[in-house]
Amino acid sequence: MTFVEAAISTSIIGKGLMIGGGFIGPGIGIGLIGGNYLQAVGRNPEASKFLGQALIFVAIVELFGLLAFASIFIVK
Amino acid sequence: MNLSYVIASTLHVYIAPGGVLKIAGLTITNAILYGWICTIAIIVFLILVARRVTVKPKGGIIQLVEAGVDFIINTVEGAFEDKSAGRKYVPFFVTIFFFILLNNELELLPIVGSSITANHNPLFRPMTADLNATFAMAAITMVYVYVSSVKASGGIKKYLRHFFVGSPKNPLFFIIGLLEMITDSTRVISLSLRLFLNVTIGEILIAVFAYLGHFIAPVTALPFTLIEVFIDALQAYIFTILGTMYLAIAVNMAKDHGQEHLTEGEDLETMSQSIGDKRKPVKQFKVVNKVRRATS
Repeated sequence: MTFVEAAISTSIIGKGLMIGGGFIGPGIGIGLIGGNYLQAVGRNPEASKFLGQALIFVAIVELFGLLAFASIFIVK
Repeated sequence: MNLSYVIASTLHVYIAPGGVLKIAGLTITNAILYGWICTIAIIVFLILVARRVTVKPKGGIIQLVEAGVDFIINTVEGAFEDKSAGRKYVPFFVTIFFFILLNNELELLPIVGSSITANHNPLFRPMTADLNATFAMAAITMVYVYVSSVKASGGIKKYLRHFFVGSPKNPLFFIIGLLEMITDSTRVISLSLRLFLNVTIGEILIAVFAYLGHFIAPVTALPFTLIEVFIDALQAYIFTILGTMYLAIAVNMAKDHGQEHLTEGEDLETMSQSIGDKRKPVKQFKVVNKVRRATS
C-alpha cells in the first residue's frame, strides 16, 4: 500500500482530469459556433458580417475552459 | 511573458501580483505601477494625437488611432436601434477599449515580466493580469450600464419591469424574473474573470513553453506570443462590446415597451405623438389591422 501511495500522486491525476475534462466542453462549443458560422456564410455570404458576434460567443464559451485551467493552481 | 524567455532557465509562474515598493506604509504592487505608467502614457499619447488630427488624414499613427476610434464608435452605435441615442454612450466605451488595449499589448514588451525583478517580484506586471484591477473595471462598467439603463427606461420601477415576461403577480413569471435578476448580477464576475484569465493564462502559456524549449525557447514560445497579440486585442474588443450589449438590451427594451401598446389599437393620434415619429407608427398600425382582418 505504501508503495502505491509513493508511486501514484493523486493530485497530478486530479489536475490532468480537470484540464482534460474542462477543455472538452469549450472545445465542442467553439467547434459548434465556428462550424455553424461557416455554414451560415456558405448559405448566405452576406452573413459574414456577423463575425464579431460569433467571436463574442467564442469568448463566452472560452471562459469555462480558462476557469478549468486556472483551478489547477488551486489543487495542491 | 515576453522576450525574457531567451534567458529563461527556470520556470517562473506568478498568478497574483506582488509588492515591489513601500510608500508611507502602503505597498505598491507591480500591477498598479504598470497601470499608472500605462495611464500616463495613454493620456500623453492621445492628447498629442488629438492635437494633430486634421480633416484630411496625414497617415501614420494618427490615422491608425482614428480608424480605431471610428471602429469602436460604429460598433457601439450599431448596437442601438436608434443611432443618435447611442452616441452619448460612446466616450466611456472608447476610453475602456483603449485602456485595456494598451494594457494588454504592452504586456509583450521585454521589460514586463520576470526579466527585471524587485523585492523578489517582477517589477512590471500587466494590470489586466490582476483580478483586483479587472474587477474594478467590470464594476465601474456595470454601474455605468445600470445607471444609464435606469435613466433610459425612466425610473427604477420601469427598469425592473423588463425582467418579467408577463405580470409579476403570476408566481411563475415572478420566479423567472427573480432568476433573471440573479443571472444579471453575475455579469460583473464573468466580465472580470474573462479578461483576467485570458491575460494571465496567456502569460503562463508563454512562460511554460519558453521553459520547455530551453535553449531553443524563442522557437517554441514565438507562436504563443503571436497568438497573444491577437487575443489581447480581441479581449479588449469583447470587454467593450459586451458592456455595450448589456446597455443596448436595456435601452432598446425601453423603446419597445413604449411601442408595445400600439398593437393594442387605441387612439391613433396620441400614440404617434408619444413616439414622436408620425409616419412610421401609422404604417405599422395598418399592417396590424390587415393581419387582424385576414385572421378573423
